[in-house]
Amino acid sequence: MEATLLPAPTDFTLLPAAPAPLTQLRRSLAADTLKLKRTAALRLTLLSGAFPVLITFLIFFFKGDIIMKTGGSPWPRFISTSWQTAGTLLLPLFVVLLTSLVVHIETKATAWKHLYAQPVGRGAVFVSKLLLILALNAVALLLFAALVLGAGLLLSVLRPKLGFVLATIPFETVVWMLLRTYVATLGLLAVQYVVSLFWRSFVVPVGVGMGAVVATIALLSWEHADKIPYAAPLGTAMAMKMEKATLTVAHELAKHEWYSLGWFAGVLVLGYVLLLRRNVS
Amino acid sequence: MKSTTPLLLETRSLHFRFGQRPILHDVHLQVEPGSLYGFLGPNGAGKSTTMRLLLGLLRPASGSVHLFGHDLARHRVALLDRVGALIENPSLYDHLSGRENVEATRRLRGVAAGRTAEVLELVGLTDNAHRPAKEYSLGMRQRLGLAIALLSDPDLLLLDEPTNGLDPNGIIEMRELLQHLCRQHGKTIVVSSHLISEIEKMATHVGVIQEGRLVFQGSLPDLRRLQTGRSRLVVETQDAESCRNLLPRLLAGATVAAPGTLWLPWLSQEHTAALAAELVAANQPLYGLRLEQPTLEDTFLHLTESRTAAV
Repeated sequence: MEATLLPAPTDFTLLPAAPAPLTQLRRSLAADTLKLKRTAALRLTLLSGAFPVLITFLIFFFKGDIIMKTGGSPWPRFISTSWQTAGTLLLPLFVVLLTSLVVHIETKATAWKHLYAQPVGRGAVFVSKLLLILALNAVALLLFAALVLGAGLLLSVLRPKLGFVLATIPFETVVWMLLRTYVATLGLLAVQYVVSLFWRSFVVPVGVGMGAVVATIALLSWEHADKIPYAAPLGTAMAMKMEKATLTVAHELAKHEWYSLGWFAGVLVLGYVLLLRRNVS
Repeated sequence: MKSTTPLLLETRSLHFRFGQRPILHDVHLQVEPGSLYGFLGPNGAGKSTTMRLLLGLLRPASGSVHLFGHDLARHRVALLDRVGALIENPSLYDHLSGRENVEATRRLRGVAAGRTAEVLELVGLTDNAHRPAKEYSLGMRQRLGLAIALLSDPDLLLLDEPTNGLDPNGIIEMRELLQHLCRQHGKTIVVSSHLISEIEKMATHVGVIQEGRLVFQGSLPDLRRLQTGRSRLVVETQDAESCRNLLPRLLAGATVAAPGTLWLPWLSQEHTAALAAELVAANQPLYGLRLEQPTLEDTFLHLTESRTAAV
């Protein structure tokens, strides 16, 4: 056969270079951020902090004179009441809802099959959504803290007699509480994330999460309660102490927060291994 | 010549099981570059499963998938960079607008920003791009899904039942678009469907799957030949029984379907002409003489009964 009659050599067999892992992650994050637009997950993040602050604000607005009968700065009382209201039930439930809602964006659109057919590895998809949830969780906590301080300052205008003065805000305690509370939510966040990815439904992770939160409350007096990731935010909220009329908290992670970090790392590794080679139907 | 052309898409002895239930048996798909490959089969035959295996969404029990001559299992991300796909219902985010839906995948693939407007224009959704996807009709959703599949200007398009939910006009538009992409832009396209009528109007090659087995694979003319070989000649006359007795040689393979109707396998044009002439010569009235093509169902049944892959 004459060489000139052969079809032009096709170059389609040249293997294109796969995008670098960090490029894949950056692209996934860019897409995931766009998908957050107009979602319940985003609204929940922006509004969740308001509820516990509003309750505490109303208590102090109407009954502040009774609470502050003994005098002193109202900030420690105000901050610890807000934080405990949030930490007991609301914060774990927020994390449960947030993770479920973010993962549900893909499930609702039947987009897992589409997502995994794109030139990004499963690792990038897994890490991208995790980073997004971690960021939203951080935003919600920061908003909560800002609302607590803002509500106190508003009370200083509306109820000047209560003594909310800017100078007496225990900033250092607030910053440490933010950091420690964030760490305390990580364990249950990882569990909920993997559960959401594994079952790919909204009902299952929310059901598991609510069940776990309720069961945790029943188990609080158990000697191993500090090992339950769903109990950690409450443990941290209870770690604040009144010392010499100011609010203090240890500048280090407590045992239950280390357990939370352990759950976070362990569950994520396990979840990633489980999900990496899974069939997508 | 055929053997020297490398295959753009190939599955080698692909098996898939769902739990204990076998779904695919020994599937050898062979798609040549530049072809428009129609992947036919009734619902539940394993079309979607095969498509998912081609994208690495499912892991085969054994066998392998090769795209552009490379093993998918080893180079999945790199190979998918050159593949656009639409699997079953398009994956659309209802809370986002049409444009934002395209944009999400554009960001994910790292495609140039200008492509979003281009693909929306290509599928005729520019005017509706600002509307939320939840307001889209089934046909618009399908077109948006196709736009997303075309984003990266892929060399290989895998489309699973892309005309689902389209009205007759939409089906024609889709067909013309796919033919245009294939002929003018040299794209290789695999389209699955359960309607042979749809596939035969555009495909260059056809694969037929039934109960998880590839029962036919070849060019469209090959399939046509297979069908004509199974065509039936229907003779309508006064008395079928006496016709058969009068012309024992020409009506050797005939069966009496009704008192006035004879069925016989179609042999050749000459045979048909001779039969007509002889019937008239024998003073038998000829009310009708027509060729019946087997229906899709007939073809499938035949293909599954024989279980031979005419590759």
